[in-house]
Amino acid sequence: MRIGIDVGGTHTDAVILEGDTVIAATKALTSADVISGVTAALDEVLKQSAVALTSIKTIMIGTTQFTNAIVERRELSKIAIIRIGLPSGRGMPPMVDWPQDMVDAIGAEIYMLHGGYLYNGWPITDIREDEVKAAVSDIQQKGIKNIAIASAFSPMNSAPETQVAEKIRAAIPDARITLSHSFGRLGLMERENAAIMNTTLLPFADNVVSAFLGALTKRGLTCPAYISQNDGTLMNADFVRAYPALTFASGPTNSLRGAHKLTGLETAIVVDIGGTTSDIGVIQNGFPRESNVIVNIGGIRTNFRMPDILAIGLGGGSLVSGDGTSIGPQSVGHKLVTEGLVFGGQTLTTTDILVASGHADIGDKSRVAQLKSDVVTQATATMHAMLNDNIEMMKPGGKDMPVILVGGGAVLVTEGLKAASTLHRPENAGVANAIGAAIAQIGGESERMLSYRQTPRDEAIASVTRAATQRAVNAGADIKTIRAVDIEETPVPYMDEGATRVRVKVIGELAQ
Amino acid sequence: MKQIDLTHLDDLALGSVFLATGGGGDPHVPQLIAEQAIKTHGAVSLITPDALDDEAFVVPIGNVGAPTVSLELLPSVDEAARTIDAFEAHVGRKVDAVASFEIGGGNSLIPLVAAAGKGIPVIDGDGMGRALPEAQMMSYAIAGVKPTPALALDYAGNQATFHTDTTEVYERHIRSFAMAAGGMITTAEHAMTGAELKRSVIPGTLSFSVKLGRTLRENRGQAGTLLNPLQAIFNSSIYGQCKLVFQGKVVDKATRIVGGYDVGEAIIQHFNGAGDPLKISIKNEYLLATLGSKIIASVPDLIVIVDYETGAPINAERLRFGHRVAVFAVGCPDFYRTPEALKVVAPRCFGFDIDYVPLEEL
Repeated sequence: MRIGIDVGGTHTDAVILEGDTVIAATKALTSADVISGVTAALDEVLKQSAVALTSIKTIMIGTTQFTNAIVERRELSKIAIIRIGLPSGRGMPPMVDWPQDMVDAIGAEIYMLHGGYLYNGWPITDIREDEVKAAVSDIQQKGIKNIAIASAFSPMNSAPETQVAEKIRAAIPDARITLSHSFGRLGLMERENAAIMNTTLLPFADNVVSAFLGALTKRGLTCPAYISQNDGTLMNADFVRAYPALTFASGPTNSLRGAHKLTGLETAIVVDIGGTTSDIGVIQNGFPRESNVIVNIGGIRTNFRMPDILAIGLGGGSLVSGDGTSIGPQSVGHKLVTEGLVFGGQTLTTTDILVASGHADIGDKSRVAQLKSDVVTQATATMHAMLNDNIEMMKPGGKDMPVILVGGGAVLVTEGLKAASTLHRPENAGVANAIGAAIAQIGGESERMLSYRQTPRDEAIASVTRAATQRAVNAGADIKTIRAVDIEETPVPYMDEGATRVRVKVIGELAQ
Repeated sequence: MKQIDLTHLDDLALGSVFLATGGGGDPHVPQLIAEQAIKTHGAVSLITPDALDDEAFVVPIGNVGAPTVSLELLPSVDEAARTIDAFEAHVGRKVDAVASFEIGGGNSLIPLVAAAGKGIPVIDGDGMGRALPEAQMMSYAIAGVKPTPALALDYAGNQATFHTDTTEVYERHIRSFAMAAGGMITTAEHAMTGAELKRSVIPGTLSFSVKLGRTLRENRGQAGTLLNPLQAIFNSSIYGQCKLVFQGKVVDKATRIVGGYDVGEAIIQHFNGAGDPLKISIKNEYLLATLGSKIIASVPDLIVIVDYETGAPINAERLRFGHRVAVFAVGCPDFYRTPEALKVVAPRCFGFDIDYVPLEEL
């Protein structure tokens, strides 16, 4: 049996799965200290299921704590940043385009050194030992322990990063170092940004992981614990201590993965209807379709891949106009239980329309008895039209696709959706994200720029796949079960024919 | 506009992506460089071609190479000004003002970096009015300005000078140097007098790009609501007509590298799947839009693809399957409709077997 826990901004959800069956599920409020909310949710599912603690084999946790720390500029530690790339990038230091409050919050020491590589494997220039020595001794003198290192084209040749890291470890044995090539993708500044955010979170990651593990141990749960990352795969606890930045987008990913698990559908549109928005995403082969847009986290550019989500202003608390022709994007949000008509408030919301139409019995239905039936009919039609139009926009091609409804607001859909080939309302849809966490596998990813003239295509793809596989194994995957789930080849314009960016993503089962 | 300062750069960059018609590279890094240069040296004064002395010495400056490379091999803030220094030493003459190769994409910003570093003005205008893939398609070259003497500088300060008769030959040589130098260089080329500039430049495009970027920003939202504000500014500019030709999602996009160019097509289908899909032919830029057998717009007129939700222009490298988009077509400046210009930028020059028909007549 497995436990899945999802710590969101508002709710902490927990489920226990036996095989594919949900045997206990709960939704608790997220506590300010996070851990007491997790403990409460854990106690509740353990009580519901009355299973023996020893039968729980793994625990998977999804958390937004690291994203929130960046967005709210808290729990960030002072770091040193070493960029290896001179003489390129003179006058363009790390964090040059960061919001000033974030730069101030981190208070980094920056060192720019000569070295790095060109796309074709030639060195930009040799590393200068005296520069490295001076930087390391300055870091040592300032007592900085957390260090980010980035060098030009390190996804293709990471030697400068590892060489400098060795020098640091020799001088500062307890240093904690993030090498930018661990984040794989091309784009020096974005990769460096990821390494910087990761480094500044390292001490906090220790605390969070220790607190999670402590809470589990206190409950007598001694099985391995994993944490979800952006792409819906898992990392073991030690990996999270080193790579907290990889958790940044796990929330929406888990919801999409959970919808896939609950229905068994490999390809579908998922509509997650909450209090304020409906988030529409797509699963392809059981995994979220990724967005291709540059992702900003707390005002900082990164090249993390995030799920492609279309958010529209329609939820259970959305405001409805007097004639029912217009809905949202304003919402009473979590104040629905005091401001909605059926709860004794004065605001006409989508939930009031639902009650008035006789499809749900929530609150005091006599308070919506005087609503005109044509307004109720119109508002119902408006809600369905909004969903149909936006689902159409997310569909790949004009093909028929099933639609899975999840989230607390899914009850708003009282009629069929003509944009859906079939409509699915799985049981336990309210805790889809905790289920998504519970079913996650282990993944790994790598990206390089290669010339198919120098390296034949098959060999090139194989070498990138090996790098991705190594990463998955490091994160806890069973090497025998690893398979490539996505191979992306992007030709590079204005270059030699055959110059190609190759990105490979692999997935495997948890090693036992 | 009398000068370009920090407050203009976001709008200039955004406008330049629209005018890049899918090419030109992501202007993010060039914008950062321009910001650093203006922070260090102060605002750049903008001079209209009319106000320029006929005897003035003007040199266009910009980056040549693969924008993808500069994501790793970062440019340096002093590289553009150093290129002008070296060019001045090479030709033995002081440069009075710099100009832009192309307003589309990152090369709209590099002249600002040079101008700030050198303390000289930048010309309000460029050599394309959009983005185009080859140097001989620049208005300067079409109007007979010689490409050389030209000088190129790489990240390490290595330099090469060029003396060729034609822009076509120059283009080949400069590209080999760019490859040898790691994929990206800065060049000063097609130097000319003020009098030559006046008859060869596409005027006003730098200040127009700022205005266009501001319009896109202030009207951020669904593509349909952008049309009126866009028409309002294009109608009163050197471009003229602006049409919203299609809205839908990308159902196919395939490109491959041929001769160093990203060549292929994108297919865009109506959201409800009905009717003929729109086909966009790509060679770095969006060059031809075809609906069924009917041509909707063609190069040298501008074809622009924007994000359906936000109106943000999307360049061809980033356009993907599943993208929800709107397609605009905009008339090109009159310069590019002259027989001399059409000799190098008509659809046939890109391998499409059709005659150019101006957007207004389609």
